[in-house]
Amino acid sequence: MFTTGSKLFFGATGLSVAGAIVFAITTGGPTGLMGTIGLLSLACIFGFLGGINFFNSDGNVPAMQQGVQYTSSAAQRPVGSSMWPLIASVGFGGLVVGAVSKPVVFKVSVVVVIIATMEWMVQGWSERASADAGYNASVRKRVLHPLEFPILGALGLGLIVYSFSRIMLSVSKEATPWIFLAIGTIIAVGAFMFASKRRISRGTILGVCTIGAVALLGAGVASARQGQRTIEEHGTTAGSALCLEGGTEGEIDDHGSQDVSAKSNVIANIYLEANDDLNARIAGFTDPEDNFDTITVPRSTDVRIRFHNESNSPQRITARLGTFGEESEVVMCTTAINPGKEAFLSFKIPKTNAATSTPLELQVPGVEGKTIAIVVP
Amino acid sequence: MEQSKNMVSRSCGRRRAGRRSVALAVGVGVLLAGCAKNAPQDTFQPEGKNARLIDGLQRELFYISGVVGLIVFAAVGYAVWKFKDRGQEIPEQTHGNPKLEILLTILPAVILAVVAVPSIAAVFELDKKDNDCVINVTGQQWWWEYDYVQGSTCGGVEITKSIVTSGELVIPADVDVLLRITSRDVIHSYWIPKLNGKRDAVPGRLHTLRMQADKPGLYTGQCTEFCGLSHARMRQAAVALDKADFQTWVTNQTADYVAPEADTLAAAGEGTFQAQCSKCHQINDLKNSAGAPVLAAPDLYVVSGAAPNLSHLMTRTAIAGWTFDLISAECRDRLWNAAPEDFGALYLKGVTPECFDEATLRTWLRNSPAMKPMYADPAKLAATGGKTRGMPNLNLTEDQIDELVAYLLERK
Repeated sequence: MFTTGSKLFFGATGLSVAGAIVFAITTGGPTGLMGTIGLLSLACIFGFLGGINFFNSDGNVPAMQQGVQYTSSAAQRPVGSSMWPLIASVGFGGLVVGAVSKPVVFKVSVVVVIIATMEWMVQGWSERASADAGYNASVRKRVLHPLEFPILGALGLGLIVYSFSRIMLSVSKEATPWIFLAIGTIIAVGAFMFASKRRISRGTILGVCTIGAVALLGAGVASARQGQRTIEEHGTTAGSALCLEGGTEGEIDDHGSQDVSAKSNVIANIYLEANDDLNARIAGFTDPEDNFDTITVPRSTDVRIRFHNESNSPQRITARLGTFGEESEVVMCTTAINPGKEAFLSFKIPKTNAATSTPLELQVPGVEGKTIAIVVP
Repeated sequence: MEQSKNMVSRSCGRRRAGRRSVALAVGVGVLLAGCAKNAPQDTFQPEGKNARLIDGLQRELFYISGVVGLIVFAAVGYAVWKFKDRGQEIPEQTHGNPKLEILLTILPAVILAVVAVPSIAAVFELDKKDNDCVINVTGQQWWWEYDYVQGSTCGGVEITKSIVTSGELVIPADVDVLLRITSRDVIHSYWIPKLNGKRDAVPGRLHTLRMQADKPGLYTGQCTEFCGLSHARMRQAAVALDKADFQTWVTNQTADYVAPEADTLAAAGEGTFQAQCSKCHQINDLKNSAGAPVLAAPDLYVVSGAAPNLSHLMTRTAIAGWTFDLISAECRDRLWNAAPEDFGALYLKGVTPECFDEATLRTWLRNSPAMKPMYADPAKLAATGGKTRGMPNLNLTEDQIDELVAYLLERK
């Protein structure tokens, strides 16, 4: 028959359904829909709880039931102490704090609550799996180790990589190879010593590894607090005003206009010779005598050139990239570079030569009458 | 009960036998596929020195690794047969055999060192950049564009004016050609199996690949890097011509535009082309009624920023990423199987009226996305700012299609 508890929940279920119907009829629109869904969800929950109570007879154990002294909840061993409720409560606290402060706190707290809940549940279940504590422990390991090991491993590896990267970013550029070399050597020598001594205790290995990990983490935290070293930035192109007029920006930066990607492959090398001749040597033509006064580039494609300043004064290369329709002429140039230096220029021309009202060409401001025509088929 | 068990056992046996038969049939099918005669993209039939170098290297490595494989399988087979469980006692278990371990470390190292000699030599040989021709190859979804360096010579033929074409890479036979390969949108990979290995086309990078064909002919290929919806329909061909024929081809490609005769269907087609197609497709030197040049602006309509140049469309044998033939199957077979000495003349005829596969071009013009899947539905282009990947359905009328076909047929 229906138990007292189940009657309560089934009553609440009926009330929720009735409420949902009334709400749906009296309140239209999205609000009505959402409220109805909410009340029906509540009805489902109450129904579920009512069903459980009915099935369990409200948790009451009839005295005449056979074997009840072994099977009832009261007859089970109490679970042991657990740290997970404490961690879960900290997680819930973090949820509240995160909700009003930083989203990252909230997200971390969600993860903490999920982990703590799961660990707590599995611990509670496994400790009552049998009367054998050893077997119970093995059951817990079987369920959780496939999850714990990869997660903890990834976390540990992430901490090591992150700490190491913070250290490398905080020390000077010259010191980084030496530090890398020193740490690698220490690890290699240490591993060799451990390997050669067969009877070394597990505790010693664990101790050394722990000290190393703590040292790495500590150095990583300290480096992160110190911040990364100043990384010099170089201009890649000059202001357009200088592109056609010539002159320099002031102090010349010979490392300007040198994106890493630009260095990898160029469609042509442009040489400003000592006698102010301007020549193009096109990638693919290997004869040193192959000097061109035109370069052919595919339309709508990112291409780059390398400018070699073989003249006797600081110079830059300017690309006049056409005037299409009503738009103004597109002009780009490198920063000025000293004699004997190189600079790179990347550009993309969307249309063919026929579409521009001004020439497509490369020139060096101040060097008159010498240009390299750009052909876009 | 016993009868039921027997029935289950017989049923399982039949299923096992069925599975074995299917596996055997698949295996035999795969094996027999290697005997196919009509395999234009067979990498084991090299027809250029670079492809031959790769083929020779893989054969050498196959022989060496084959011998190693046979020894390993023989050793494993012997161990399995000799020491199989016949109920005998488990033999003494030993751990560690320094002599054997050293031998098993040194022996593979020696084999790898031997294998490295021809491999490294081949890599350096393939990477040589000495050549007699440079061609830019640009991939985009889902076709290849070729342009020839103006002011250069290609196999002794001067390129006095820029040439841009698509689908078919026309090269002089027996000449080292350097391809400078890049991409306008995503990563593609250029591969003509009979002429060389493959090379990725990466946006923002310029990769080189040397190609050489022993004799005139048509060598087909396929994009080999998954590049989106119609990757399987991104094909290409290299067409090798002897020097005289290549000179003829270059002269034709750099020839001036010839307008259709007035008051013809083709003349009407010129107007339709300007109204419908010239937003993306360029025909060099085409002028509008006011005498101003008609300039395509595919950068405004297409994600890759380019569409095939159609100035000499009918010198090519296929369209749409070299997927659909412009010539009939009979003419195609005749061209593909032509003797090297006859090939050039046949190819240079282009699409003749008797060979023209008009139905294919008409179907393409009627609704191109229905033939080749493309991202060209105007309702689904929000992510690309309204730009398409491929050609959209222009909803042309049958009259417009008639006019365009007549006009395009004259683009030789």
